[in-house]
Amino acid sequence: MTGMIQGGWEFVWLVYGITWAGLIGYGLSLARKDARA
Amino acid sequence: MKTIRDVLWKDLLIEWRARSRTVALLSFAYTILLLFAFAIGPDAAALRQHAGAYLWLGLLLCSSLLLDRTMRTEFEAGAIQSLMLVPVSSSGLFFGKALANTLQLWLVGAVSVPLVFVVCDASLTESVGLMALTLVMGAAGLAAPGTLYAAMIARLSGRQLLLPLMLFPLVVPVVVAAVKSTSLVMLGDPMDQIGSWLVLLGCFNLVYWSLCGILFGRVVEA
Amino acid sequence: MNQRWEIWVGLLGTVMLVWAHYTGLFVSPPEAMMGDVGRILYAHVPTAWVGLLTYLVAFIAAIGALATGRAAWDAMVEATVEVGLLLNVLLLIQGSLWAKPTWGVYWTWDPRLTTCAIMVVAFGVVLALRRQIDAPMRRLTISSVATIIAFVNVPIVYLSVKWWKTLHQPYSSPETVDSAMVTPLRVAAFGMLFLATAFVVRRWRIGLVALQRDFEAPDLPEASAPLKVED
Repeated sequence: MTGMIQGGWEFVWLVYGITWAGLIGYGLSLARKDARA
Repeated sequence: MKTIRDVLWKDLLIEWRARSRTVALLSFAYTILLLFAFAIGPDAAALRQHAGAYLWLGLLLCSSLLLDRTMRTEFEAGAIQSLMLVPVSSSGLFFGKALANTLQLWLVGAVSVPLVFVVCDASLTESVGLMALTLVMGAAGLAAPGTLYAAMIARLSGRQLLLPLMLFPLVVPVVVAAVKSTSLVMLGDPMDQIGSWLVLLGCFNLVYWSLCGILFGRVVEA
Repeated sequence: MNQRWEIWVGLLGTVMLVWAHYTGLFVSPPEAMMGDVGRILYAHVPTAWVGLLTYLVAFIAAIGALATGRAAWDAMVEATVEVGLLLNVLLLIQGSLWAKPTWGVYWTWDPRLTTCAIMVVAFGVVLALRRQIDAPMRRLTISSVATIIAFVNVPIVYLSVKWWKTLHQPYSSPETVDSAMVTPLRVAAFGMLFLATAFVVRRWRIGLVALQRDFEAPDLPEASAPLKVED
């Protein structure tokens, strides 16, 4: 496996963390908007 | 057809009557170019290399002012309502206005080129015709969406800030292609690339002049 | 049950996404060239596909809104642009975080990353315009026009940046996907699609209530209302 990038797990966690934070955050904001409407 | 000619003539006449504003616009363009040169510093090589970029950035900044101004004359004192009462086609109105904007922008560009030559120690390696063509196509590429968007936000209060922001995504391909083409005309084009950049500009213009022409009517009626 | 079907679709999507990400993170083998960093693709690729698809729906909704002038289409424009923008922003962040370990920098003038950034501005402008315009019909028209243009602009920007970049250096991008990775990727893509659908439908319902109210409000004479000319 020549040339394979080693490590980099912190970026993987950041990506997944931010992605899920965004999705869940938006979902929650929708739920809250609906409760108020 | 006649609408386009009439609107074009009307707009150019208005601008000619207020030509002190046009002079102010040209002075603005010159100032921008000089400021770029000062900001980059006396690095002759860098200035020559990026002369095309400075030219088009200056034109871009001028276009915001120009577009806002020429659209404001339509909406002030309810002029646009009177215009809509006359049985003109709205696309005719669009093409007339956008052509007027193109011509004025092209004029600013043509007048700026000599200054760029002087300040950046640049010169024409390829033909004048190619330079003129690039200027026209680039100006047209800025004018078409610019005219539509200026009409869209003519009644909003934050429009002077909003217009450049709205135009930015549209203008990226134009700036990329026009700058590359201009730089190649100025610095030489060993690999014959100018053609493909002009084609890109041509396609952009084709798409946007038609699209904006179609949509202009709805925007002005709203 | 009929009224709230999107909740179930959203839950299904979430479950699929969780499974796919778990598998992608801990079970699948590391990618051939990118190593473990390549695991980002289970989040990044679905976001890209679904984001673009959402914008496509926004484009269609904008055409519909202009054609019909109805609040339902306007609400769909609003919902799809908003959800699309969420995915778009996520995509940008993901792309930048993928670039750093891959190419060493957070930003490269990669055609896809650059187009992504430009799309955020173009569609963000649509939402900004909607916030600024109060008259419902004008808001519908202006935001639909802006959406149509923003969408048409995407391939043009992509092409021009691609040409611009490739003239300087040859363009390479790792594209092959190992067979062991296809299944979690597919599940992630559909999971994201279901979740986004749930978001759009829910956002559409919420927006529709407010917009219907706006459209039905008594027409106060506007000082600057233009007279219509029948063609």
